[in-house]
Amino acid sequence: MKPLPSTSSKTPVKFRMPTSENLVPIRLDIEVDGQRFKDAFTWNLSDPDSEISVFAKRTQKDLKLPLAFATQIAQSIQTQLTEFRSYQGQEMLTGEKIVPIKLDLRVNHTLIKDQFLWDFNNFDSDPEEFAKTFCNDLGIEDPEVGPAVAFAIREQLYEIAIQSVATARESRNAKKGRRGEYSSISSRSTGAALDLMKLFSNRYSVVRKRKEWDVYEPMVDILSNEEVNALESMEERKPR
Amino acid sequence: VALATKQRQWYFGLSVNERTVVHQWPSFFSFGSPSTFWAFLWKYSFIIPSVFARPPKNLRNLTAMASTEPPAAVTPPSSKPNLLPLASPTIITPSAAASVAVAPTASSSSPATPSVATPRPIPSDAEVVHIPSYSCWFSLGDISECEIRCLPEFFDSRSPSRNPKAYKYIRDSIVKQFRRNPSSKITFTEVRKTLVADVISIRKVFDFLDAWGLINYSPAALNKPLKWEDKDSKSSQHAADSPAGPSLDSTPPVRETSKRLCGSCKSVCSIACFASDKVNLASSFHCNGIHTIKGNPSAAFCAIASLEHCSTNLVLIVLNQYDITLCARCFVRGNYRVGLSSSDFKRVEISDEMKTDWTEKETLQLLEAVMHYGDDWKKVAQHVGGRSDKDCITHFIKLPMGEQFASSAEFGSSINKLNQMKDDNNISSSSSPSKRLCLSPLADASNPIMAQAAFLSALAGTGVAEAAAQAAVTAVSEMGQGEPKADIRSLHGVQGLQDASITSNGSGILKSVEEAHSGVNPKPEEKEKVNVEEEIRRVAEVQMKQIQEKIIHFEEVDSQIEKEWKQMEQMRDILFYDQLNLLKHERAIRKSGQQAAEGVRTQGDYVS
Repeated sequence: MKPLPSTSSKTPVKFRMPTSENLVPIRLDIEVDGQRFKDAFTWNLSDPDSEISVFAKRTQKDLKLPLAFATQIAQSIQTQLTEFRSYQGQEMLTGEKIVPIKLDLRVNHTLIKDQFLWDFNNFDSDPEEFAKTFCNDLGIEDPEVGPAVAFAIREQLYEIAIQSVATARESRNAKKGRRGEYSSISSRSTGAALDLMKLFSNRYSVVRKRKEWDVYEPMVDILSNEEVNALESMEERKPR
Repeated sequence: VALATKQRQWYFGLSVNERTVVHQWPSFFSFGSPSTFWAFLWKYSFIIPSVFARPPKNLRNLTAMASTEPPAAVTPPSSKPNLLPLASPTIITPSAAASVAVAPTASSSSPATPSVATPRPIPSDAEVVHIPSYSCWFSLGDISECEIRCLPEFFDSRSPSRNPKAYKYIRDSIVKQFRRNPSSKITFTEVRKTLVADVISIRKVFDFLDAWGLINYSPAALNKPLKWEDKDSKSSQHAADSPAGPSLDSTPPVRETSKRLCGSCKSVCSIACFASDKVNLASSFHCNGIHTIKGNPSAAFCAIASLEHCSTNLVLIVLNQYDITLCARCFVRGNYRVGLSSSDFKRVEISDEMKTDWTEKETLQLLEAVMHYGDDWKKVAQHVGGRSDKDCITHFIKLPMGEQFASSAEFGSSINKLNQMKDDNNISSSSSPSKRLCLSPLADASNPIMAQAAFLSALAGTGVAEAAAQAAVTAVSEMGQGEPKADIRSLHGVQGLQDASITSNGSGILKSVEEAHSGVNPKPEEKEKVNVEEEIRRVAEVQMKQIQEKIIHFEEVDSQIEKEWKQMEQMRDILFYDQLNLLKHERAIRKSGQQAAEGVRTQGDYVS
């Protein structure tokens, strides 16, 4: 069996979310007068910025938050979008990039732990579709889990994309400067995808090693009220 | 009767576990405020299903869906993000009570008029969801042209995540989520937390469904004649504001606020404005429909296109009541809708408006008082507080038509009071519409004689009652002008009066009242006289309009009942035929039995 081609096919690509639709994950964590508002959703970049204030106003009204929230929400969304846009002009390296995506989230009473591999290079991928199928297959009743899963996937893809932009920049500088360092940098840039080689090192079967089965199996837990309260208080204590 | 209780299924290309019946709430049923509607409903909830809860004849686009299983297994829809003081965004409107009241009666008394191909009864345990008649094209099974027109970005394959499949997913999820709990309004944030899609797509679909009344639609919330008007004005205002940063709350000028905003130029009326209370009659709906929509031609087009799909039955029922206010400038410029003319507008002085603007609370108090005290307007005025009895009467008359159904018993007497305020005639008459269907308003009438008269006229039938009323009118007018009340009474007491008689009676009232007043009042009361005349004129106009509408409506009911009657007869024939067959068979069997017995006997004889 020929070893897989090394990640030398690193043609830089314009930065974008490696999904079929360029949706940006937006996370909100706003605190005003002791009231904390946390939220996470996906935003379509092709929508005009006028939508931001409309959305912020809507959210504030629907949830009956004090007026100050609307402006803060709009600002937060705007900053995150501009940040995303600032990356857009730049290039990122993709190559053979299969990245592990980890899910470790709690949505209301549902706890989800999962890990799987995602092809970063597949620009037709659809985290939304994945999330919908995930919830259907596992019989998750809470409808809020789906968006949370999709968001988590997107967020991680976003971070990996940012990393690849950084490494692309580094490699470009390295290219301009020292040629010798090239190979080490290249191997570093594909750090996330190193798994690939290891995974396929077992030439006799493509089945995963037994000890890794638990890791890659989705686990859905329904918590009781007390557990939820306990976890919430722990989470609040952590960042503070 | 066999017809009504037979259960038939109505499939419409939908999955079997969807069975809500969607009823059309005629959009003319626009009440001034939720409280007025509630008051009306409270008293006459049993009338509504037989009169209004009528599914359309044209079943092409409409589906029957019912969610009979309560969402027991679903986790609590706590759709809030991590908020420390939790706020609950659900609103329970009084229509919850109304819809519950409507549902069981709808199932029992709805006229299930089936065509042979597609029978359509209502299962008795179905939940009833109301959507406005202009949204009858909607179906959960597929996407209609109206949606494609209104939300083109989902169908022009410009962006991969905005495709018909995604649209359908978002739309169906939102509608289903709302219908799980139709009595409470669903907010955008609740919805977007549960859908796997980008929030702006969700918002667009949500706004679309909201504008068309497919979600968050409750009859009590019918403050605005057409929702997409406000959607456009809101979105245009938002678009204007957004470059300036986060926008302020922009409330669309729909209802009377303390400041009168001009309907077209959107400026505050300063000196005088012109108000139109025109009610659009059914026959001209198509023409006027396109003009009721401001600004958004595609929405207008949608409305017209959707109307074509509606059954003719539905179009006739749908009416629109315009409460349009134009500032003096716009009125002079002719800046109003094509369906109206300058004569439809009345001049309203702002100074008066300020003083006499009725708030919701006052209206509610007025209704309560009227229900308690009936004719006694002094007590009513006391109860309302701050309004003279004349004010109360005029405002009461001006309240939208629904009030007429509710309290026309008191209405007639109020007119009489108005007419004869100077004379101290203790008029005990009360006019009331004696529709065949609602005799109970008359039962509440303060005058038992009137109640009887109405009952008898209902029993006797249209023609007889009409003839009797006309005879009474002529006799009374011969008697003298002191009895204008008889005219009014007869107007109300009969179905299907002709326009000629109405107008003649109307003018008769005016003339007689003028004479009465000129005879009774001395000169110094001239201003009062003018006021009273004006009010009476207004009253008569309103009356006439209402009667016209009632006529149309009852023609409807008549034709419906005829059809049902024919079907009944058919059923009866079939039953008779069946019975005949049965008898024949019986006889045949008996005969053969006898023959067999004979045969046995003869054999026995033979043997023995």
